Amino acid sequence: MGVTNQALPSGYQLLNYRIDRQISRGGFSIVYRAFDDSTAPVAIKEYLPSSLVLRTEGDIVRASSAENLTSFRYGMKCFFEEGRALAKINHPNVVRVLNFFRANETVYMVMRYERGRTLQQQIQLRQDQMSERLVRHVFMHLLNGLREVHTHKLLHLDIKPANVYLRTDGSPVLLDFGAARQTLTSTRPKLAPMYTPGFAAPEQYRDPDRLGPWTDVYGIGASIFACLAAFAPQAADARVTEDHLVSAKKIWAGAYSENLLEVIDWCLKLDPLERPQSVFALQKAIRDIPPKRRKLTFLGNLKKRLFTEVM
Amino acid sequence: MRFTIFQESRKSQRKVNQDRLAYTYSRDTLLLVVADGMGGHAGGEIAAQIAVRLFIERFQQEAKPTLKNPLKFLQDTMLRAHSALGSYANQFSMLETPRTTCVSCIVQSNYAYWAHAGDSRLYLFRQGGLIGQTKDHSKVQYLLDQGIIGAHEVVDHPDRNKIFSCLGGLVDPVIDLSRRTPLRNGDIIVLCTDGLWAVYPQEEIARALTGTPILKACPALMREAEVRGGPDGDNLSLIVVRWGPETLTDEPTTTITETMGLGEFQTEIDRTLTLTDRKGVQRDLTDDEIERAIEEIQATIKRYRR
Repeated sequence: MGVTNQALPSGYQLLNYRIDRQISRGGFSIVYRAFDDSTAPVAIKEYLPSSLVLRTEGDIVRASSAENLTSFRYGMKCFFEEGRALAKINHPNVVRVLNFFRANETVYMVMRYERGRTLQQQIQLRQDQMSERLVRHVFMHLLNGLREVHTHKLLHLDIKPANVYLRTDGSPVLLDFGAARQTLTSTRPKLAPMYTPGFAAPEQYRDPDRLGPWTDVYGIGASIFACLAAFAPQAADARVTEDHLVSAKKIWAGAYSENLLEVIDWCLKLDPLERPQSVFALQKAIRDIPPKRRKLTFLGNLKKRLFTEVM
Repeated sequence: MRFTIFQESRKSQRKVNQDRLAYTYSRDTLLLVVADGMGGHAGGEIAAQIAVRLFIERFQQEAKPTLKNPLKFLQDTMLRAHSALGSYANQFSMLETPRTTCVSCIVQSNYAYWAHAGDSRLYLFRQGGLIGQTKDHSKVQYLLDQGIIGAHEVVDHPDRNKIFSCLGGLVDPVIDLSRRTPLRNGDIIVLCTDGLWAVYPQEEIARALTGTPILKACPALMREAEVRGGPDGDNLSLIVVRWGPETLTDEPTTTITETMGLGEFQTEIDRTLTLTDRKGVQRDLTDDEIERAIEEIQATIKRYRR
C-alpha cells in the first residue's frame, strides 16, 4: 500500500475560501468543494500530481528531491496551460474559471461549482439506451461551447463523456482542459500529449502536426458513440492497423435517426480530412436533417415539455 | 486591425533552438520580430531572447496604441538590443558577446515598416508576386551583387553563414530600414530565418501561401522544410501575416483588434521548443515564471469577465 498525498482537511481556510470536502482526485490534481466569502460554493482544483508524494501531512507541498521538484514544476506548466485556456472563455457550456492563485507551494484554480453528474456517470447509470432527443440536446449545446473554445484558437484534445458534466437542468458543461493547447499560434503541442484510448483521434498518437478542430470532432463522435453503446469505440491507434469499428449506421439502424448515425460515422473517420472540418460544419450536418417526429397531440406536447423541464 | 497570423519555430536536427520569435499588437499596431542567435554555449539563445524581449517591452511602453515613428522605433530598438548584448557580455565576463540577427516589422494604419540586420528575411507578397524583401547582410549576397557568383550558388556556398551585420559583437550593426509601404487586403508578410529560406526558393513560398489559408499552408511549409533540411537541418522559424479582414479561406481565424482597450496588448512569444531538449528533458519553471504565469492568467480572467 503506497503512501498517497493528503487532501486538505474540511474547514481548511485557503485564502478567502473555506474547504468543504474533496470531490474528486485525478492524476494531477485534487478537486475540492469550497465556499467563498459570500458562502457561495466553488470548485477548487489543487495541482498535486499523484505520482509524486509531496504532502503526507499538513498543508505545504514539499518536493522530496531535486528530481521530484523538476517533475513537479514541469507538470505545473500543464496546469498553467489549462488555466490560460479557460481564462479566456466565458460560455455557459464551458467550465468557468473564477480565480487562479499560488499557495502552499503549489497552484490552485477556482472554478464555478456545478451541480449534476458527468455524462460518463449518466451512461453508466442508465439501464436502457439513451434517447436520441437527450443525445441531441446534450451535444448541440456542447458543440456551442466547443465552438467558443475553437474560436479562441484552442483545442480541447480530451473530449470524452467523463469530461462532460450534465447540470441538473440537463445542460452540458465541458470540463477538464488539462490537455488543451493553444494551437493556432504554434501548431506543436507544448507538452507531452495525453490521450484517452477510444476517444483520442489517430493524429493525436502519431501526427501532432495535424491536430485541428477535426481532432476534437473525433472526440465528439466517439462520445456520441459511447452514449449509444455504453462503451468507447475501438482505440484509434488500433484502428489504424486493423479497423474493427462497425459503423454506427449498421449497429443502430432503426433505433436512431439515419442522420445522427451518419454524423457519428463521419466524425469517426480515420483521415482527419474526411471528418467535418469545423464544429460549425458538424452542427450544420446535425441540424440539416431533423429527426422524424410524430405529430404531437396537445397532451403529448405538454408531457414532453414537462419532461424537458424535469430533465 | 484585422489579420490572420501564424508563428512557429522548430529546432530541427540541431541540439538547441537559437531562434526566437514573437508578435505583439495593441489595438492599432502590430509588431513582428524574428531573431536567429549565434555563438557558443547558450550565447545564441540568450542573444535572440534578449533582442525579442526588448522589442516586446519597448513596444508595450510606446505603442499607446500607436507608435509615433515606426521606423525610428525599429532602428532605436535594434541599437538598444545591440548595446544590451554588449553589457550582458561584460556583466558576465563572457569571452564572446552573444550575437543575433534580427528582422522586425511594424504594421500601422495600413502601412508596413521593417528593418533588419543580418540574414533573417522579410518577404512581402501581393497576389502571389513579390513586392518587397530584405537584402541579407551576408558575404554571399555581396558576392551575388558583385556578379562574382550566380543566384544558384548561394544556397551551397561555403561562406553562406558569414554575415557582416548583427546585433551584439564588436562592430556596430548595419541596419537597413524599409520605406513606408502601403498594404492592401490580402497582402502577405513573411518573416523567417535562414533555416527556412535556404530550403525554399522565394517563388515557392509565394505559391504555397497564395490561395490557401495560411493556417493550413504554413504548418505544411514547416513540415516540408524540416524534411528538406535533412539530417543536419537548421533551426526553422516562420511568422506569416495575411493582412486584412477574413477571406473565405481563413474564416474564422482572423484576429480582430477593434474590441481591445487602449493600453492593452496581446503577445505571443514562441518559446515552444526552447525549454525542451531533444530527449524531452524539461527545464525547471523558475519562481519568477510561475508568478508571471499566474499574473497573466488572472489578467485574462478579468479581461474576459462579463
